[in-house]
Amino acid sequence: MKKRLLLNWQWLLLFALGAPALTAQTRCGLTLQGKVVDAHSQEPVAFANVAIQGSSIGAIADENGLYFIDNICAGTYTIVCSHVNCDHVVHNIILTEDTRKDFILESHGIFMEEILVRGKAEPLKAAGASSTLEAAQLGSGRGLSLGDAIEQLPGVTVLNTGATIAKPVIQGLHSNRVLLLNNGVRQEGQQWGNEHAPAIDPFLADRVTVIKGAGSVRYGADAIGGVILIEPRPLREKPGMGGEINLQGLSNGRTGLASGMLEGALKGKWPISGRLQGTVKRGGNLRTPNYFLDNTGVEELNFSWALGLKKERWNTELFFSRFYTRLGIFSGSHIGNLTDLANAIERERPLQDGAFTYELGRPQQRIYHELFKWKGELETGELGSLQLQLARQFNRRQEFDSHRPYGNLPDNFDEPQIEFEITTHTAELAWQHHPIHLLRGSIGAHFMQQANTTDRGALIPNYENYTAGFFWIERWKNFPFPLEVEGGLRYDYQWMDVGLQGRDTINRQLAFRNLSGTIGAIYRFPKLLELRFNFGTAWRAPNVNELFSDGVHHGAASFETGDPDLQPERAYNSSLSFDFDDKDKLSATLSLFYNVIDNFIFLEPQAEPVLTIRGAFPAFGYAQSDARLMGLDWQLAYEAMPGLRLESQASLLRAWNRSREEPLSLMPPDQFEHALRYSFGEDENKAPYLRLAMINVLEQTRAPAETDYAPPPPGHTRFKLEGGAQFRLGKQPLEVSLAVFNLFNTSYRQYLNRFRYFADETGRNVSLHLRVPFGLVPRSS
Amino acid sequence: MTFKNSKLMRFLFVFLAASTLFWTGCQKDDDNPPTDEPELITTVILHFTAPDGGTSSFKFSDIDGAGGNPPVAQDITLSANTAYQLNIDFQDESNANDVKDITTEVKEEAEAHLVCFAASGVLDIPVTLDTDANGAPLGLETELTTGQAGNATLTVVLKHEPDKGAANACNTGETDVQAEFGVRVQ
Repeated sequence: MKKRLLLNWQWLLLFALGAPALTAQTRCGLTLQGKVVDAHSQEPVAFANVAIQGSSIGAIADENGLYFIDNICAGTYTIVCSHVNCDHVVHNIILTEDTRKDFILESHGIFMEEILVRGKAEPLKAAGASSTLEAAQLGSGRGLSLGDAIEQLPGVTVLNTGATIAKPVIQGLHSNRVLLLNNGVRQEGQQWGNEHAPAIDPFLADRVTVIKGAGSVRYGADAIGGVILIEPRPLREKPGMGGEINLQGLSNGRTGLASGMLEGALKGKWPISGRLQGTVKRGGNLRTPNYFLDNTGVEELNFSWALGLKKERWNTELFFSRFYTRLGIFSGSHIGNLTDLANAIERERPLQDGAFTYELGRPQQRIYHELFKWKGELETGELGSLQLQLARQFNRRQEFDSHRPYGNLPDNFDEPQIEFEITTHTAELAWQHHPIHLLRGSIGAHFMQQANTTDRGALIPNYENYTAGFFWIERWKNFPFPLEVEGGLRYDYQWMDVGLQGRDTINRQLAFRNLSGTIGAIYRFPKLLELRFNFGTAWRAPNVNELFSDGVHHGAASFETGDPDLQPERAYNSSLSFDFDDKDKLSATLSLFYNVIDNFIFLEPQAEPVLTIRGAFPAFGYAQSDARLMGLDWQLAYEAMPGLRLESQASLLRAWNRSREEPLSLMPPDQFEHALRYSFGEDENKAPYLRLAMINVLEQTRAPAETDYAPPPPGHTRFKLEGGAQFRLGKQPLEVSLAVFNLFNTSYRQYLNRFRYFADETGRNVSLHLRVPFGLVPRSS
Repeated sequence: MTFKNSKLMRFLFVFLAASTLFWTGCQKDDDNPPTDEPELITTVILHFTAPDGGTSSFKFSDIDGAGGNPPVAQDITLSANTAYQLNIDFQDESNANDVKDITTEVKEEAEAHLVCFAASGVLDIPVTLDTDANGAPLGLETELTTGQAGNATLTVVLKHEPDKGAANACNTGETDVQAEFGVRVQ
């Protein structure tokens, strides 16, 4: 309706002003029409202005990019097509008859950004402390493991089991206290164990965000340590095909890795997008500075695909990922009983120096994880948007002890001693309402059904677990007023039915329910400083291993017993962050946190060892205490001179058992990283660079006395060198990056590595990574 | 080639859609009933044969495995100043209806096993008589010579994958069994 009025008005205008020309030209009443499209997306550009230069004759395109100018006389004209978000285009035409003329506009920055924001529903900056790593920053660490790749963030450390298993630790907390979101779905597997690494392909991660502390009402109450969001690349929207190939080689373990991704999008009425991605990895025995670690090879075979369809009012996405790994557990770590452990510690180095081989023997783990998810989003017009997500996950974990089970060959030649299978179904419904005055927010519900079957071993029982959670988050923002406030509430109910454990029937039902909440504020001082404060309270129901564990943990020579009467943990977490950025030379973030956890569940050594036919095992029972974790993280970058940047970051933690008045065990020691980065060019993101980092880990002097088999190892300093360059080989862009981990081949041990009793950490590791992006459409941006 | 590839794309999508069915379809659970740790050795039996042919057997057992009830050991009674032949048996008695002999298996994998002994009191450690295929000691057949009367303890340790070339081979490898008996020599 509006359009017609506009055209009529134009027509009138044209009539009035064109009248003098009418007399001079021979032929009049011609029409000029066509379409205005965007050069990149081929999408129509709505409401572009098409005008004849030097006159006021023109028209405005409709929402489909179509324009129409009539009643023009024959002649030579200069037509200008322009749009507020695009560079204008000028065409000279000789008009002798009715003419069609399409315009292709080159959109510039602002428009592109707008599209991005609209397409991704960019989450608002969290009031709590958080940091993000993009694909390029994840860098060479991805060739090691996901945990190693995100360890570079302040406040994040890793818990290792040997050199092949790495779990992320956020401000001292890990495992079930840290929630992993793989493409929007809570990763559900056997993540409770210290030696259970996240089953996610590091190359699937395009962006990793770490939210520290118990601030996340959105993702689940139990994440009292924090949340790690792992997001794959958004599906391609621009019609055409493209992809990339990643090749990486690492000297230590002679590890080779290939990862490929192919993506495409159709144009037209059904703009379907798709992506196919896969990673293959193989590595052999790793080496410390002085000896090989026997049986530390790894094999990984992962793939994923995604399909999406995005319409104006709704969009939908299917996603499937599969992760499979076979990894060796350092053979020197597998011991029978306490005497064996004492012997191993006394030796100070493994009995055998080992040799290089790709062969994987026992002990070994095989882990399989698959995720299948469907997501749909609907714009409900006036009300907001509605999102529904359904997912199924299946996780199988097999552990092979150092010798195969006794029994008749060959039936049990390749049999694991422990096998668990967890199947999880989740459904999540969220409604994001349109701003009501200055409030933006969402309300949602989350349901989960989970079943664990233990096929072999009796360490944990079979169980079924049902949870339901409801959340409501609102955020108040009055731009440009500098204060922004966010609050959220969540209620969760969990019901668990525990069945068989080995040959015993436990038959217990447990129910837990509680509230969690968060309140946070962001205050922006003009230009330079941003202040973020967050207070959150969350709870976590005891996990099945804490309730019902019963058995020997071979790698640790310990007998662990659960306590079915454990109460949920309750955390009260306050954090205060300062973000400073002078947009020129200095940027810095400082986060302080103070985390009080009541009923903190931990493994407590028992006075009497457990006697078995294999000898005596020290006994550990799950117990509860009130705990306090506090500390600070910082990250700082200073441009000392053009191209040269000084970087510094630190993770400091003090963890205290308030009930026992002693430090908590297995808490990361203070860690610093200082680096010099030099880039050979103007554009910091594209120019070749070199970065030398010094990583300094202090000795953990705050560990409970006499509960460990060996004192915490001394502190150490190691170096890392990184460099990268982007160039073109003909028309083909290439990215090469080089990294040397443990540059000076330093011998050291880490307190948070469970195998520190047996062997050193790995020695120098040189990684070469080649990334080859490609596009099958010539006009790639 | 702006979009002549649409056939290829369509093929790709059909392929992907088909793979959904394939990968979710073939993922079935193998429904093994849960079992206890299958490598279980629950029982060690020491068979003593005196020079006069008289035999006696003593048992160390932990039928319910690690945890639960602690292991039970029978006290050994031997005559003084006697050279006994000592043979050792390992069994899995976790299922009373199906007692499994593990000794044969230890013998079959003799290179990967070693029986070690420790003694205190009036007893000396037994002398190993048998060897594996490489000529290294195994320890299932030994000779134990008693001296004067008195009390003693005898500990039998089964090592898996020990380094038999090491100076103290009994400090290497993984302990599968460690059974301590009280001994009375009279």
